[in-house]
Amino acid sequence: MSSYPTTMPPTRPEVSAATPADPRARWAQIATSADHKTIGLVLISTAFGSLFLAALELLLVRIQLAVPENVFLNAVTFDRLLSVYGETAIFLFALPLCIGLFYYVVPLQIGARGTALPRVGQTGLWLFVLGGFVLYASFLYTPPEAGINPLPPLSELTFTKNNGVDVWLASTGMITFGLLLLSIDLLTTLRNLRAPGMAWRRAPIFTWAASIVTWLMVIVAPILLAAITMLFIDRKLDGTFFVGGSGGSPILWQHMSYIFFTAVYMTVAITILAAISEIVQTFTRREVIGRKVVIGSLAAIAVIGTLAWTQNMITAPLPSGWKYFAMLASISLIVPFGLIFYNLIATVSASDFHMRAPLRYAMGALSLASIGLAAEVAQSTIAVGTQLQHTYDAWAATHFALIGFAVFGGLAAVSYWYPKMTGRMLNEERARISFFVMFVGALIALLPLFGAGVDGQVTDSYRYVGGQAMDVLNLIAAVGTFILFVGVIMSVGNLIKSRENEAVALPDPYRGDTLEWLTLSPPVAHNFDVLPDVRGTQPMRDIRDALARRDADTGSTAEAPQPVA
Amino acid sequence: MSLFIALAGFIAGLGAFAGPAMAISLNPDAGSPGIDKSNTLHWILFIVAIIAIVAINLAILRAVRPRTRHVASKDAGQKKGTQLKVGVGLAVIALAIFVTSTVFSDQSRVVPVSTETVADVNADKQLEIIATGQQWIWRYNYPNGAFSYHRLVVPAGVTVELKLVSTDVVHGWNVPSLTGKADAVPGKTNAIYFRADEEGVHNGRSAILSGQGYDTMEARVEVVSPDAYESYIDQLAKDIQAAQDRVEKVELSNITDTSGAALTQDAQDKTVKDAKADDE
Repeated sequence: MSSYPTTMPPTRPEVSAATPADPRARWAQIATSADHKTIGLVLISTAFGSLFLAALELLLVRIQLAVPENVFLNAVTFDRLLSVYGETAIFLFALPLCIGLFYYVVPLQIGARGTALPRVGQTGLWLFVLGGFVLYASFLYTPPEAGINPLPPLSELTFTKNNGVDVWLASTGMITFGLLLLSIDLLTTLRNLRAPGMAWRRAPIFTWAASIVTWLMVIVAPILLAAITMLFIDRKLDGTFFVGGSGGSPILWQHMSYIFFTAVYMTVAITILAAISEIVQTFTRREVIGRKVVIGSLAAIAVIGTLAWTQNMITAPLPSGWKYFAMLASISLIVPFGLIFYNLIATVSASDFHMRAPLRYAMGALSLASIGLAAEVAQSTIAVGTQLQHTYDAWAATHFALIGFAVFGGLAAVSYWYPKMTGRMLNEERARISFFVMFVGALIALLPLFGAGVDGQVTDSYRYVGGQAMDVLNLIAAVGTFILFVGVIMSVGNLIKSRENEAVALPDPYRGDTLEWLTLSPPVAHNFDVLPDVRGTQPMRDIRDALARRDADTGSTAEAPQPVA
Repeated sequence: MSLFIALAGFIAGLGAFAGPAMAISLNPDAGSPGIDKSNTLHWILFIVAIIAIVAINLAILRAVRPRTRHVASKDAGQKKGTQLKVGVGLAVIALAIFVTSTVFSDQSRVVPVSTETVADVNADKQLEIIATGQQWIWRYNYPNGAFSYHRLVVPAGVTVELKLVSTDVVHGWNVPSLTGKADAVPGKTNAIYFRADEEGVHNGRSAILSGQGYDTMEARVEVVSPDAYESYIDQLAKDIQAAQDRVEKVELSNITDTSGAALTQDAQDKTVKDAKADDE
């Protein structure tokens, strides 16, 4: 007789889809969880809450600029709203949305049971939340007021004496550090925890994008953190890092911060283009045309795009070589972006597709981003760039690209993985209506600003002199921003409402080809009971085929069960 | 289907709106040959951008068109060929834009620090003026020692080298009808060049957030004939000298004559008394 006690459970339970109920309150579970799904959901929810705040702040800014010489806001309030809007849109919406999507989806896609360094990721999440809290708590005393990118010397103690800039530094520092920790965790997971057979050549495009973006963050985030520390030393400890003429240079801050901001732009583009590739693959039932070209182009965008950071400093006192290099790099970005756009559109064009909410949002994202990117190319040339920089033309181009990618593309990605994240389907009708409201709103809000910018309206100014062509353009833009704001409320509301009263989602509602669709909706804590053996780029299709073959062999005529790990 | 209609409407709207809007406002008044060239480049890029945007959106429209029958998948060989062609095409577009922009960029080639080319060409005619940014006004120092605030007067037909410095924060010098923007950064010297061929007035607004008075910070350039310029700066120098003499005289009298201060004190007391009388 064996010495093995019969009452003990088997050492390796193979099927345990039901997790024991946690007696603690919901908030306590979230606050103590190091699970990548919980952390990803907190990041994504925060991002969409911040999207609402950013849209509200943008609306207030546009209302102030709707008519010339407006007295709705004074100069200080306008500067504060603008600064908080910039930080909210970049650090509380776009970046956490990208990192959150990766953090939720990628471990599922590579067949991992969790992340490699869960406590590092958890620390990162709560640093991020704390950073956001610090920023919005500053409305009780002094919010930051030195601009979207607080350039020294204006952000030095000599010229901004209140602690608004310190708030910006503290919150941005915590958020950046938090997202850096999350990236490190994700990068380690990607290196070490891929399922058997998941070689890089078989990894999904979104997983490739995660690898590119986390590497990029690991390289550029410390640069911004260093700059933040240096400015903090300047302000608090009488440093002179960014004080011109005292051994320091304000240009140094511009280099360090614009490397990061440019990388953020590229991060958003890469994340969303990769998510759109996944969406296109699923709804057209085929692999995207030129898979390797798309992956290579995503990597090229990361490298070339980030190296073009001096594009933002085209008016600064820099040697001409820097500016020419940035111009060359920006123009050559046409090639990778163009190849990805071509491949995605060609895939949809050459296939039968199912027009669902994710695909509609994705096509809207490509459409809006095409306007922004084309305008950016026009500005990347030095002669035209020095004319248009710091005007609403440049502002509109950046916003077209980022509203296209981050808002529309973000909604595409979230509505695509919505059944997986919540266990419910998204309401298609509401998603369709909110898409059209937002699309029309974005066009009306941003197209007139191209004209206003060429007409000479500079950004960051809280009022302008009337009697010019820009008067009516700004009024149209304000109306458009209101429509966009309504659309954002409808979209975010749909995400919240569908969670409760929509149809329960099956594990694989769209017949996707990547591994996240093997798990339950929502996945159990350990994701997979059985790790699949990956033999190609479409593991779920292989699993479905294997099940079909097995049924054919056994002669079973019953409806094949959905594969569930 | 509705996406199809929306996108079609959007392209029609883009064409209907953007064309006239840009035609009205695309740098209508070029005040210098450099801006004339950069406007031409802007037009070329604008047309290229519109073509690219319309082409991409037409492709999206075609991709999401309502289907009535099954679409046959293309085979792999065909895909590779198409991809190569598209890649080469895009590279050619990128190269073309780069070459065009290089050709048209020579007014901005002189923006950076290296100034030899322009200095050689205009060795006898170049005019160096120092523009100092401070919160929230520009000060211009002319070669003869005169200076003016807010208003810069330059002679027509002469290349002006504007040296930009700042005493406090970063300011953006911006007169769009004469030249591109350039930043005045404390601790650094930036330079920008322009030549205005016709007399007239050019206005612009500061372009980098510099604090609470940012929206009031303007740049104004008056182009006058070379003779008028000479007499203007001479007169300016004389006026400044006269003003300084007056100030010196007043300061001198303040130091020697204490009765002036006493008188002021009396006047203040009287004002206070009057105010009290008014209250009662």
